[in-house]
Amino acid sequence: MPSPIPDAAVADATLALRVARASADPDREAEAELCRRLAPRVRLYGLRHLGSEAAAADLMQHVMLTMIERLREGALREPERLTSFVFGVCRMVVLDLKRGHIRRERLLETYGDALAPPEPSEPSLDQTRLASCLERLPERERTVLLLTFYDDMSAEALASELDISQANVRVIRHRGLDRLRQCVTGEAQ
Amino acid sequence: MTPANCQSPLAWETLLAYWLGELDADGEARTEEHYLGCAQCSHRLEQVVALANGVRTLARGSGVSMIIDDQFVRKLREEGRNVREYRVPPNGSVNCTVTPEDEFVVGRLEVPLAGVQRVDVLTRYDFVEGEQRQEDIPFVAASGAVVICPSIDLLRASPASIWTIRLLAVDDEGERTLGEYTFNHTPHSP
Repeated sequence: MPSPIPDAAVADATLALRVARASADPDREAEAELCRRLAPRVRLYGLRHLGSEAAAADLMQHVMLTMIERLREGALREPERLTSFVFGVCRMVVLDLKRGHIRRERLLETYGDALAPPEPSEPSLDQTRLASCLERLPERERTVLLLTFYDDMSAEALASELDISQANVRVIRHRGLDRLRQCVTGEAQ
Repeated sequence: MTPANCQSPLAWETLLAYWLGELDADGEARTEEHYLGCAQCSHRLEQVVALANGVRTLARGSGVSMIIDDQFVRKLREEGRNVREYRVPPNGSVNCTVTPEDEFVVGRLEVPLAGVQRVDVLTRYDFVEGEQRQEDIPFVAASGAVVICPSIDLLRASPASIWTIRLLAVDDEGERTLGEYTFNHTPHSP
Protein backbone atom coordinates (compact mmCIF):
# COMPACT_ATOMS: atom_id res chain seq x y z
CA MET A 1 0.00 0.00 0.00
CA PRO A 2 1.60 3.30 -1.07
CA SER A 3 2.27 5.86 1.61
CA PRO A 4 0.21 9.07 1.53
CA ILE A 5 1.38 11.74 -0.89
CA PRO A 6 3.81 14.03 0.91
CA ASP A 7 3.10 17.75 1.10
CA ALA A 8 3.53 20.08 -1.88
CA ALA A 9 7.22 20.60 -1.22
CA VAL A 10 8.08 17.02 -2.13
CA ALA A 11 10.70 16.77 -4.85
CA ASP A 12 9.66 15.51 -8.27
CA ALA A 13 12.42 12.94 -8.06
CA THR A 14 10.94 11.37 -4.92
CA LEU A 15 7.66 10.87 -6.71
CA ALA A 16 9.44 9.51 -9.76
CA LEU A 17 11.25 6.99 -7.56
CA ARG A 18 7.96 5.88 -6.05
CA VAL A 19 6.48 5.33 -9.51
CA ALA A 20 9.57 3.45 -10.67
CA ARG A 21 9.68 1.18 -7.61
CA ALA A 22 5.99 0.32 -7.77
CA SER A 23 6.06 -1.08 -11.29
CA ALA A 24 4.21 -4.32 -10.46
CA ASP A 25 1.46 -2.56 -8.54
CA PRO A 26 1.32 0.97 -9.99
CA ASP A 27 1.41 3.77 -7.41
CA ARG A 28 -1.40 5.75 -8.97
CA GLU A 29 -1.34 8.45 -6.35
CA ALA A 30 2.31 9.19 -7.03
CA GLU A 31 1.68 9.06 -10.79
CA ALA A 32 -1.21 11.49 -10.53
CA GLU A 33 0.76 13.85 -8.29
CA LEU A 34 3.74 13.78 -10.63
CA CYS A 35 1.47 14.63 -13.58
CA ARG A 36 -0.25 17.37 -11.57
CA ARG A 37 3.10 18.97 -10.85
CA LEU A 38 4.73 18.59 -14.25
CA ALA A 39 1.84 19.03 -16.69
CA PRO A 40 1.55 22.83 -16.23
CA ARG A 41 5.28 23.24 -16.90
CA VAL A 42 5.07 21.11 -20.03
CA ARG A 43 2.08 23.17 -21.11
CA LEU A 44 4.23 26.32 -20.91
CA TYR A 45 6.82 24.63 -23.10
CA GLY A 46 4.06 23.71 -25.54
CA LEU A 47 2.61 27.21 -25.62
CA ARG A 48 6.04 28.67 -26.28
CA HIS A 49 6.86 26.29 -29.13
CA LEU A 50 3.47 25.40 -30.58
CA GLY A 51 1.55 28.61 -29.95
CA SER A 52 -1.88 27.18 -29.16
CA GLU A 53 -3.67 25.74 -26.17
CA ALA A 54 -4.85 22.72 -28.15
CA ALA A 55 -1.35 21.83 -29.29
CA ALA A 56 0.05 22.44 -25.80
CA ALA A 57 -2.60 20.08 -24.43
CA ASP A 58 -1.53 17.41 -26.96
CA LEU A 59 2.05 17.84 -25.85
CA MET A 60 1.13 17.54 -22.19
CA GLN A 61 -0.79 14.31 -22.73
CA HIS A 62 1.94 12.76 -24.78
CA VAL A 63 4.79 13.72 -22.47
CA MET A 64 2.96 12.65 -19.30
CA LEU A 65 2.04 9.32 -20.84
CA THR A 66 5.59 8.66 -22.04
CA MET A 67 7.03 9.66 -18.68
CA ILE A 68 4.77 7.33 -16.70
CA GLU A 69 5.32 4.45 -19.12
CA ARG A 70 9.09 4.81 -18.94
CA LEU A 71 9.09 5.10 -15.17
CA ARG A 72 6.92 2.01 -14.80
CA GLU A 73 9.17 0.05 -17.17
CA GLY A 74 12.19 1.06 -15.12
CA ALA A 75 13.68 2.49 -18.28
CA LEU A 76 14.60 5.73 -16.54
CA ARG A 77 17.66 4.51 -14.65
CA GLU A 78 18.13 7.68 -12.67
CA PRO A 79 14.72 9.06 -11.74
CA GLU A 80 16.46 12.06 -10.19
CA ARG A 81 17.31 13.03 -13.76
CA LEU A 82 13.59 13.21 -14.53
CA THR A 83 13.74 16.86 -15.62
CA SER A 84 16.33 16.15 -18.31
CA PHE A 85 14.25 13.24 -19.48
CA VAL A 86 11.06 15.32 -19.64
CA PHE A 87 12.92 18.07 -21.47
CA GLY A 88 14.14 15.56 -24.06
CA VAL A 89 10.66 14.12 -24.57
CA CYS A 90 9.21 17.64 -24.93
CA ARG A 91 11.69 18.47 -27.68
CA MET A 92 11.02 15.22 -29.53
CA VAL A 93 7.23 15.48 -29.31
CA VAL A 94 7.22 19.13 -30.39
CA LEU A 95 9.17 18.15 -33.49
CA ASP A 96 6.69 15.37 -34.22
CA LEU A 97 3.71 17.64 -33.63
CA LYS A 98 5.17 20.26 -35.95
CA ARG A 99 5.72 17.63 -38.61
CA GLY A 100 2.15 16.47 -38.18
CA HIS A 101 3.23 12.99 -37.10
CA ILE A 102 1.02 13.14 -34.03
CA ARG A 103 -2.61 14.01 -34.39
CA ARG A 104 -4.81 15.17 -31.58
CA GLU A 105 -7.62 12.96 -32.79
CA ARG A 106 -5.41 9.88 -32.64
CA LEU A 107 -4.31 10.73 -29.12
CA LEU A 108 -7.86 11.14 -27.97
CA GLU A 109 -8.93 7.89 -29.63
CA THR A 110 -6.12 6.03 -27.90
CA TYR A 111 -6.28 7.52 -24.44
CA GLY A 112 -9.73 9.05 -24.17
CA ASP A 113 -10.11 11.23 -21.12
CA ALA A 114 -7.51 9.38 -19.07
CA LEU A 115 -5.03 12.21 -19.48
CA ALA A 116 -7.37 15.14 -19.69
CA PRO A 117 -5.36 18.34 -19.67
CA PRO A 118 -5.66 20.46 -16.55
CA GLU A 119 -7.24 23.87 -16.76
CA PRO A 120 -4.81 26.65 -17.75
CA SER A 121 -2.98 27.62 -14.60
CA GLU A 122 -2.02 31.22 -15.30
CA PRO A 123 -3.08 33.63 -12.61
CA SER A 124 -6.17 35.45 -13.84
CA LEU A 125 -5.64 39.14 -14.48
CA ASP A 126 -8.12 41.90 -13.88
CA GLN A 127 -8.55 43.14 -17.47
CA THR A 128 -9.88 46.52 -16.34
CA ARG A 129 -6.81 47.08 -14.22
CA LEU A 130 -4.55 45.83 -17.00
CA ALA A 131 -6.17 48.24 -19.47
CA SER A 132 -5.73 51.09 -17.01
CA CYS A 133 -2.07 50.16 -16.49
CA LEU A 134 -1.53 49.95 -20.25
CA GLU A 135 -3.09 53.40 -20.72
CA ARG A 136 -0.57 54.77 -18.23
CA LEU A 137 2.46 53.50 -20.15
CA PRO A 138 4.39 55.89 -22.38
CA GLU A 139 2.86 55.80 -25.86
CA ARG A 140 5.85 54.13 -27.48
CA GLU A 141 5.91 51.30 -24.93
CA ARG A 142 2.16 50.74 -25.19
CA THR A 143 2.26 50.58 -28.99
CA VAL A 144 5.20 48.19 -29.03
CA LEU A 145 3.54 45.85 -26.51
CA LEU A 146 0.17 45.88 -28.25
CA LEU A 147 1.70 45.22 -31.66
CA THR A 148 4.00 42.54 -30.20
CA PHE A 149 1.23 40.50 -28.65
CA TYR A 150 -1.59 41.18 -31.12
CA ASP A 151 0.07 38.79 -33.52
CA ASP A 152 3.18 37.48 -31.71
CA MET A 153 5.27 39.82 -33.84
CA SER A 154 9.04 39.31 -33.69
CA ALA A 155 11.43 42.12 -32.77
CA GLU A 156 12.69 42.03 -36.35
CA ALA A 157 9.24 42.48 -37.91
CA LEU A 158 8.27 45.13 -35.41
CA ALA A 159 11.49 47.07 -35.97
CA SER A 160 10.83 47.04 -39.68
CA GLU A 161 7.20 48.13 -39.23
CA LEU A 162 7.99 50.98 -36.83
CA ASP A 163 11.24 52.01 -38.52
CA ILE A 164 13.35 51.59 -35.38
CA SER A 165 16.19 49.22 -34.51
CA GLN A 166 15.62 45.67 -33.20
CA ALA A 167 17.68 46.50 -30.12
CA ASN A 168 15.40 49.45 -29.48
CA VAL A 169 12.30 47.26 -29.82
CA ARG A 170 13.72 44.83 -27.24
CA VAL A 171 14.59 47.57 -24.76
CA ILE A 172 11.18 49.22 -25.15
CA ARG A 173 9.17 46.03 -24.70
CA HIS A 174 11.19 44.78 -21.73
CA ARG A 175 10.82 48.15 -20.03
CA GLY A 176 7.12 48.27 -20.88
CA LEU A 177 6.42 44.76 -19.58
CA ASP A 178 8.33 45.47 -16.40
CA ARG A 179 6.32 48.64 -15.77
CA LEU A 180 3.12 46.80 -16.62
CA ARG A 181 3.88 43.98 -14.16
CA GLN A 182 4.67 46.46 -11.43
CA CYS A 183 1.46 48.36 -12.10
CA VAL A 184 -0.73 45.24 -12.24
CA THR A 185 0.74 43.74 -9.08
CA GLY A 186 0.69 47.05 -7.25
CA GLU A 187 4.49 47.15 -6.86
CA ALA A 188 4.61 50.50 -8.66
CA GLN A 189 2.57 52.30 -6.02
CA MET B 1 13.29 21.79 -7.51
CA THR B 2 10.40 23.27 -5.60
CA PRO B 3 9.51 26.81 -4.59
CA ALA B 4 11.36 26.17 -1.36
CA ASN B 5 14.63 25.05 -2.85
CA CYS B 6 15.22 26.86 -6.15
CA GLN B 7 18.72 28.10 -5.42
CA SER B 8 19.09 30.21 -8.55
CA PRO B 9 15.74 31.55 -9.75
CA LEU B 10 15.63 32.71 -13.35
CA ALA B 11 15.69 36.50 -13.64
CA TRP B 12 12.50 38.23 -14.75
CA GLU B 13 14.50 39.61 -17.70
CA THR B 14 15.44 36.07 -18.72
CA LEU B 15 11.86 34.86 -18.51
CA LEU B 16 10.70 37.79 -20.66
CA ALA B 17 13.47 37.26 -23.19
CA TYR B 18 12.57 33.56 -23.34
CA TRP B 19 8.89 34.20 -23.91
CA LEU B 20 9.63 36.84 -26.54
CA GLY B 21 11.96 34.49 -28.43
CA GLU B 22 15.04 36.60 -27.82
CA LEU B 23 17.39 33.97 -26.35
CA ASP B 24 19.88 32.01 -28.42
CA ALA B 25 19.43 28.23 -28.67
CA ASP B 26 21.67 27.48 -25.66
CA GLY B 27 20.03 30.08 -23.47
CA GLU B 28 16.62 28.83 -24.46
CA ALA B 29 17.53 25.22 -23.64
CA ARG B 30 19.01 26.20 -20.26
CA THR B 31 15.89 28.16 -19.41
CA GLU B 32 13.58 25.31 -20.40
CA GLU B 33 15.48 22.67 -18.52
CA HIS B 34 15.39 24.90 -15.46
CA TYR B 35 11.69 25.72 -15.39
CA LEU B 36 10.62 22.19 -16.31
CA GLY B 37 12.20 21.17 -13.02
CA CYS B 38 11.26 24.23 -10.99
CA ALA B 39 7.81 25.01 -9.65
CA GLN B 40 8.81 28.51 -8.58
CA CYS B 41 10.22 29.62 -11.93
CA SER B 42 7.47 27.93 -13.92
CA HIS B 43 4.96 29.83 -11.79
CA ARG B 44 6.75 33.10 -12.56
CA LEU B 45 6.75 32.20 -16.24
CA GLU B 46 2.98 31.67 -15.97
CA GLN B 47 2.76 35.29 -14.79
CA VAL B 48 4.59 36.42 -17.93
CA VAL B 49 2.19 34.36 -20.06
CA ALA B 50 -0.82 35.83 -18.24
CA LEU B 51 0.46 39.34 -18.90
CA ALA B 52 1.10 38.58 -22.57
CA ASN B 53 -2.34 36.99 -22.98
CA GLY B 54 -4.00 39.91 -21.23
CA VAL B 55 -2.33 42.43 -23.54
CA ARG B 56 -3.27 40.29 -26.56
CA THR B 57 -6.92 40.20 -25.50
CA LEU B 58 -7.01 43.99 -25.12
CA ALA B 59 -5.23 44.58 -28.44
CA ARG B 60 -7.52 42.22 -30.35
CA GLY B 61 -10.62 43.69 -28.76
CA SER B 62 -9.56 47.33 -29.20
CA GLY B 63 -9.82 47.57 -25.43
CA VAL B 64 -7.16 50.22 -25.12
CA SER B 65 -6.20 53.26 -27.22
CA MET B 66 -3.28 52.72 -29.59
CA ILE B 67 -1.13 54.58 -32.04
CA ILE B 68 -0.80 52.20 -34.97
CA ASP B 69 0.25 52.42 -38.62
CA ASP B 70 -1.05 51.72 -42.10
CA GLN B 71 0.43 48.23 -42.10
CA PHE B 72 -1.50 47.31 -38.97
CA VAL B 73 -4.73 48.65 -40.48
CA ARG B 74 -4.12 46.51 -43.57
CA LYS B 75 -3.55 43.48 -41.35
CA LEU B 76 -6.84 44.07 -39.53
CA ARG B 77 -8.69 44.23 -42.83
CA GLU B 78 -6.97 41.12 -44.17
CA GLU B 79 -8.14 39.30 -41.04
CA GLY B 80 -11.68 40.37 -41.85
CA ARG B 81 -12.03 42.70 -38.87
CA ASN B 82 -14.57 45.50 -39.21
CA VAL B 83 -12.50 48.68 -39.39
CA ARG B 84 -14.06 52.13 -39.70
CA GLU B 85 -11.47 54.58 -40.94
CA TYR B 86 -11.53 58.39 -41.07
CA ARG B 87 -8.86 60.15 -43.12
CA VAL B 88 -8.31 63.72 -42.10
CA PRO B 89 -6.04 66.25 -43.84
CA PRO B 90 -4.02 68.76 -41.80
CA ASN B 91 -6.36 71.30 -40.17
CA GLY B 92 -9.34 69.32 -41.43
CA SER B 93 -12.42 68.04 -39.67
CA VAL B 94 -14.68 65.04 -40.01
CA ASN B 95 -18.05 63.84 -38.72
CA CYS B 96 -17.64 60.49 -37.09
CA THR B 97 -19.44 57.75 -35.17
CA VAL B 98 -19.08 54.14 -34.10
CA THR B 99 -21.64 51.45 -34.97
CA PRO B 100 -22.29 48.16 -33.16
CA GLU B 101 -20.58 46.31 -36.02
CA ASP B 102 -17.33 48.27 -35.79
CA GLU B 103 -14.45 46.43 -34.13
CA PHE B 104 -11.84 49.12 -34.64
CA VAL B 105 -12.16 52.82 -35.43
CA VAL B 106 -9.06 54.53 -36.75
CA GLY B 107 -8.26 58.13 -37.54
CA ARG B 108 -5.57 58.60 -40.18
CA LEU B 109 -4.14 62.04 -39.57
CA GLU B 110 -2.27 63.16 -42.65
CA VAL B 111 0.81 65.14 -41.72
CA PRO B 112 4.18 66.08 -43.25
CA LEU B 113 6.73 64.19 -41.15
CA ALA B 114 9.95 64.58 -43.17
CA GLY B 115 12.78 65.70 -40.88
CA VAL B 116 10.63 65.45 -37.76
CA GLN B 117 12.48 63.95 -34.76
CA ARG B 118 9.70 63.58 -32.25
CA VAL B 119 5.92 63.91 -32.35
CA ASP B 120 3.70 64.70 -29.38
CA VAL B 121 -0.11 64.54 -29.46
CA LEU B 122 -2.38 66.99 -27.66
CA THR B 123 -6.02 65.87 -27.34
CA ARG B 124 -8.87 68.03 -26.13
CA TYR B 125 -12.47 66.88 -25.58
CA ASP B 126 -15.11 69.57 -25.34
CA PHE B 127 -16.75 67.77 -22.41
CA VAL B 128 -13.58 67.58 -20.32
CA GLU B 129 -11.43 70.37 -18.87
CA GLY B 130 -7.86 70.67 -20.15
CA GLU B 131 -5.76 68.74 -22.64
CA GLN B 132 -4.09 65.33 -22.59
CA ARG B 133 -0.55 65.11 -23.89
CA GLN B 134 1.05 61.95 -25.26
CA GLU B 135 4.77 62.39 -25.69
CA ASP B 136 7.08 60.84 -28.24
CA ILE B 137 4.59 58.71 -30.15
CA PRO B 138 5.88 56.15 -32.65
CA PHE B 139 5.57 57.22 -36.29
CA VAL B 140 6.89 56.23 -39.70
CA ALA B 141 8.01 59.44 -41.41
CA ALA B 142 7.62 58.04 -44.91
CA SER B 143 3.95 57.22 -44.35
CA GLY B 144 2.99 60.89 -44.07
CA ALA B 145 0.42 60.06 -41.43
CA VAL B 146 -0.17 59.32 -37.77
CA VAL B 147 -2.80 56.64 -37.24
CA ILE B 148 -4.75 56.72 -34.00
CA CYS B 149 -7.01 53.94 -32.80
CA PRO B 150 -9.02 54.92 -29.70
CA SER B 151 -10.44 52.26 -27.42
CA ILE B 152 -13.76 51.07 -28.82
CA ASP B 153 -15.23 51.16 -25.30
CA LEU B 154 -14.21 54.81 -24.92
CA LEU B 155 -15.84 55.68 -28.25
CA ARG B 156 -19.06 53.84 -27.43
CA ALA B 157 -19.29 55.60 -24.08
CA SER B 158 -18.63 59.07 -25.48
CA PRO B 159 -21.46 61.59 -25.73
CA ALA B 160 -21.93 63.78 -28.80
CA SER B 161 -18.76 65.82 -28.63
CA ILE B 162 -15.94 67.52 -30.44
CA TRP B 163 -12.44 66.06 -30.16
CA THR B 164 -9.53 68.22 -31.23
CA ILE B 165 -6.16 66.60 -31.84
CA ARG B 166 -3.02 68.63 -32.39
CA LEU B 167 0.22 67.05 -33.59
CA LEU B 168 3.41 68.78 -32.48
CA ALA B 169 6.95 68.40 -33.81
CA VAL B 170 9.38 68.60 -30.91
CA ASP B 171 13.13 69.15 -31.13
CA ASP B 172 15.95 70.98 -29.34
CA GLU B 173 14.65 74.33 -30.54
CA GLY B 174 11.14 73.86 -29.13
CA GLU B 175 7.90 72.70 -30.63
CA ARG B 176 5.68 73.63 -33.56
CA THR B 177 2.23 72.53 -34.67
CA LEU B 178 2.21 70.10 -37.58
CA GLY B 179 -1.55 69.98 -37.92
CA GLU B 180 -4.84 70.17 -36.08
CA TYR B 181 -7.67 67.70 -36.60
CA THR B 182 -11.26 67.95 -35.46
CA PHE B 183 -13.57 64.97 -34.93
CA ASN B 184 -17.27 65.75 -34.55
CA HIS B 185 -18.42 62.63 -32.77
CA THR B 186 -22.06 61.56 -32.73
CA PRO B 187 -23.21 58.41 -30.95
CA HIS B 188 -24.72 55.83 -33.28
CA SER B 189 -28.50 55.90 -33.54
CA PRO B 190 -30.08 52.75 -35.02
